[in-house]
Amino acid sequence: MNLFLLYLLLTKATLTSFSGTTSLPVIRQDFVEHYHQLTDRQLNAAMAAGQAAPGPNGLYVVSVGYFVDGVPGGCAGLLAVMTPPFLIIPMLQFLGRWADNPRIQSALRAVTVAAAGLVLTTALPLARDALTGPLPVVIAIGSFAFLLFRQRATVLVIGVAALAGLLGQVLK
Amino acid sequence: MLNEEVTIEKPTLYKLFLLFLRLANLTFGGGDAIMAAMNTELVSARKWLSQEGYSIAYALARITPGTNVLACCAGTAWQIRGWSGAVAAVLAASTPAAIAVMVLTEGYGALQSSAAARAAIAGTLAAAVGMMGTAAWNLLQPYLDRRRWLPAVVIASMSVALLEWLSFSPIRVLGVAALTGLVWRIPE
Repeated sequence: MNLFLLYLLLTKATLTSFSGTTSLPVIRQDFVEHYHQLTDRQLNAAMAAGQAAPGPNGLYVVSVGYFVDGVPGGCAGLLAVMTPPFLIIPMLQFLGRWADNPRIQSALRAVTVAAAGLVLTTALPLARDALTGPLPVVIAIGSFAFLLFRQRATVLVIGVAALAGLLGQVLK
Repeated sequence: MLNEEVTIEKPTLYKLFLLFLRLANLTFGGGDAIMAAMNTELVSARKWLSQEGYSIAYALARITPGTNVLACCAGTAWQIRGWSGAVAAVLAASTPAAIAVMVLTEGYGALQSSAAARAAIAGTLAAAVGMMGTAAWNLLQPYLDRRRWLPAVVIASMSVALLEWLSFSPIRVLGVAALTGLVWRIPE
């Protein structure tokens, strides 16, 4: 895939999201369904890599770019993550007074709850690919439950899940 | 700029870069914790920015597309050192983590040849599914209180239906949701 097109598609996803993982449905539609540049398994792995790294959320987009085109693709992903935040500068110049407008706040809340539905819907095909037996199902449920109480423990969860997968293989 | 009358000393670009590098990559607790640390460091500790300047950047960062923390970095640093400051802050906040993500991704590919590594990776992929469930819940849960649960549940269900059964694109679903939110007010 052309690097510029890769950047444009990833930027389309980051421009239409308002938090870390809400770009996921757009990315799956473009890269898995439309252009077939990524499998559900790779998208799932990108999510895991993004969550395991330090720093801001949403950097799984870098991993998506890396899967498509190596280091140049990863850099395109980084640029796609870095582009939308600069929109705040014209907003600071012209829209500062609108930030607290109740209707705009309400529209933003509606987009956030809609994104919850979209993320859940997008997770289903990824779950079908990853949850192929009792152990992966237990790991997924355990991760979900643990992260409800310890939201920032993602690195710990990924480490324990890897160990559990390994243990399952040894005991088989 | 909002900050002109209160800046005591304009930091060098290098100092600004180092501060954002540390805040974004070494503050534990996620986006809200990073932005809280930015408020303390930029306003109280270093006096590079007024509280009003920080508050407006914080509010606008929440309605800026993309990653909120990076928008907050860009908005605060722009008020302190203009465009070069904004670019330095966003680079500092995102590049180290992006390199870590690329190394981890490469690791996933390189380890596929070993059966043991494949089993460990399968475990992490299952965990990622659980994480997506948590991400969806964390987006919805704050709105499930007495005053807002109805519009929240209706709009979230509508987005599932539009995407899954009516084959709307995700962007169109978000557009419909934004229009719904403009008409059907979801209170603060």
